[in-house]
Amino acid sequence: MRNHIRAAGLAALLVLGVGVAAAQPPPGSDVPSALALGASIPMAKTAMIGVDGKSLSIAAAAGKKGTLVIFMCHHCPWVKAWQDRIATIGNAAAGQGVGAIAINSNDPGAFPEDDVAGMKEQATQLGLKFPYVVDATSDVARAFGATRTPEAFLFDATGKLVYHGTVDDNAHDASAVSKPWLQDAVAAVAGAKAVPTAETKAFGCGIKFRAKSGT
Amino acid sequence: MLALIQRPGARATMVNVWATWCAPCRAEFPAMLRAAKARRGRGLRLVLVSTDFPEQLAAVRKFLRDQGVRDTAYIETGEPMAFINALEPSWSGAIPATLVYDGHGRQVAFWEGAADSTRFSAAADRALSPNSSVKEASP
Repeated sequence: MRNHIRAAGLAALLVLGVGVAAAQPPPGSDVPSALALGASIPMAKTAMIGVDGKSLSIAAAAGKKGTLVIFMCHHCPWVKAWQDRIATIGNAAAGQGVGAIAINSNDPGAFPEDDVAGMKEQATQLGLKFPYVVDATSDVARAFGATRTPEAFLFDATGKLVYHGTVDDNAHDASAVSKPWLQDAVAAVAGAKAVPTAETKAFGCGIKFRAKSGT
Repeated sequence: MLALIQRPGARATMVNVWATWCAPCRAEFPAMLRAAKARRGRGLRLVLVSTDFPEQLAAVRKFLRDQGVRDTAYIETGEPMAFINALEPSWSGAIPATLVYDGHGRQVAFWEGAADSTRFSAAADRALSPNSSVKEASP
């Protein structure tokens, strides 16, 4: 007997009227808490090595009007689906006064494609004009509460988190995007305006954290 | 999707969200299937939801076939953020993700990331237990 695949769409989900408000992880959950809106940039002065071999911190990559921090990697299909858009947004951010930095926190022992060589290849292919650095302990991801790739955190001119989430509402088809959340958020920060949608979600690859120091 | 969780005919439901290209998802699959199969007679229903893109449907079918899955499985086709928040507001969207419900549709366990047979079994047993309102404790 062959297996059967059915679509599990949103319409069925709404039948039960399950709440969609933001919430803390349920009791017993091991999901780390993501940085809350309004929070400051954690580990901003931590030096990380970039694909160009230079040491750089988030603070050094910050822009006068804001700072975009995006956790990404090389192997993840969702990153691959969005990476051209990530490159476009990040490359354009500098021209808007918003600094950008991409961080890879994955343990390359789990995903060999996510080693520095893979990152260099990816950065070259994408034409990244902003830093792409290695979070060699995964502690920066832990400090942000980042759990997946890609996952974006956008801070305003005062260094407060004003956007957390994904790139847009259609990883699969860039031409079908109706909600360019990250692009809109960067534009808002550049214009010193309120971000229209401050928190979004999408599927992503779970970050493969390195073991904590001392464990 | 959530209607499946409360559909009559099961005393507990385990939902696993996965993708064929997701290494941790593939790694945990055999343990999850064993735990589910061992409790099927006690009323555990397993709902598998793939987040693969539509063009990967053939790969999804092959993977399930290779794993010995003979039941109906699902592929997520709606808006991801609504799907994620409807299932569990604290879920970041990272996969694999597993949610376990008792016979009343109450969630008794949720976690992101791969699990082993002990975790799948413990969560399923808790959902099947008469005292299923007790949520999973962190290890």
